[in-house]
Amino acid sequence: MHELKIAEELIIIVLKVAESENLKKITKVNIQFGKMIQIVPDIFRFVFESGVKGTIAKNARLKLEILPIKFACKKCKAETEIEDLLFVCSFCGSNDLELIQGRETIIESIEGEK
Amino acid sequence: MEIKIMKNVLDRNKNKANEVRSLMKENNVLLVNLISSPGAGKTTLLDCTLEKLKNTFKIAIIEGDIATDRDAQRLKKHKVPIVVINTEGGCHLDSHSISKVLPKFNLENLDVIFIENVGNLVCPSHFDLGESFKLALVSTTEGDDKPIKYPMLFREAKVILLNKIDLLEYTNFNRSSFLKDLNNVNGKVPFFEVSCTANINMEQWYDWIFNEIISK
Repeated sequence: MHELKIAEELIIIVLKVAESENLKKITKVNIQFGKMIQIVPDIFRFVFESGVKGTIAKNARLKLEILPIKFACKKCKAETEIEDLLFVCSFCGSNDLELIQGRETIIESIEGEK
Repeated sequence: MEIKIMKNVLDRNKNKANEVRSLMKENNVLLVNLISSPGAGKTTLLDCTLEKLKNTFKIAIIEGDIATDRDAQRLKKHKVPIVVINTEGGCHLDSHSISKVLPKFNLENLDVIFIENVGNLVCPSHFDLGESFKLALVSTTEGDDKPIKYPMLFREAKVILLNKIDLLEYTNFNRSSFLKDLNNVNGKVPFFEVSCTANINMEQWYDWIFNEIISK
C-alpha cells in the first residue's frame, strides 16, 4: 500500500500549487509513474479520490501514465526498453546496466479553473 | 488552464533522506536499511550480527514495527542502543520517521546503525531513508519467485542474503530458478546463501559487512 503515501504526498503538492495559482477548482491531475514503482492504478485512484474529498480537487480526473523500464548498458552504451524484467542488454548481453527510466513518481501538471 | 509542475511526488521524503545521509556522513556512520518479508529472519540476522560484531564495532538498531516492541525485546540482551518506531499500521518507514529518532543516538560514538524496516517487500523499497545501502533478505520458505516479483528491491539492494538454506530440502524452493531470476534482475549483486539459526555460511556475511564498516 505504498499507493497511500504517494497519493498523500501528491495531494499536498496539488493543493499547494492550486492555492498559489488561485485556482477555484482542479479538473485534472497529470502524473507519470515508472513501471518499477509497481503502482496498482485502481488502488491509486481509490486512495486519491478518498484523499481529495471535501477539497477543490474533489472532481479532478487523474491521468496516470506508466513509463516503461529503460536502461543504458555500461559496456556497449546501447539503450534498451524492456517489457519483461530481464535486466540484460539485448545488444551485447551484459548485465552491467544503469536504469535511466522506470522509477519515476512525477507530477507533470494540474488543470483547473480560476 | 494547465499549470506545469514537473516535480517528484516523493521530493519531501527524498530531501529529508538527503539530510539524513549528510548527517551520517558527517559522523562517519554507516546506515543499513534491512528489508524483507515478515518472517524471513530480519531480527534473527541482527541478533547473530550483533553477537558477532558488537565487541568490534559500535552498533545501534532502529526497529521499525507495525505494532509492539517484541523485536527490540529480542535484541535487548546485546545492550546496544535500540530505538523502536511503531508505524501503527503503516507498511514502511520513511525518512522523516528516521530523522526524528536520530537525536536519540550519540552519532559521534557509533560505527553503524541497522534499520529493521517493516516486513514487506514492496513499500519499503520505494522510500529512501537516507541509508548508505539496502540489504535485502529473503528465505527459502517464502518461495523462489521473489526477485522477479519484487524487482525494485532486488535491483537496488547492495547485498542479498538467502536465509534458511538449511530448510531447503523441506521446501519446494527451486534454487536454480531463483538464481536465474536474480541474475536477470541484478546479476552483479553480492549474494550469500546462509542460515542464521543453523550458522551456515554466516562468516561470508560477517566478512562482507565487516569490510563495509571499515571502509565507510
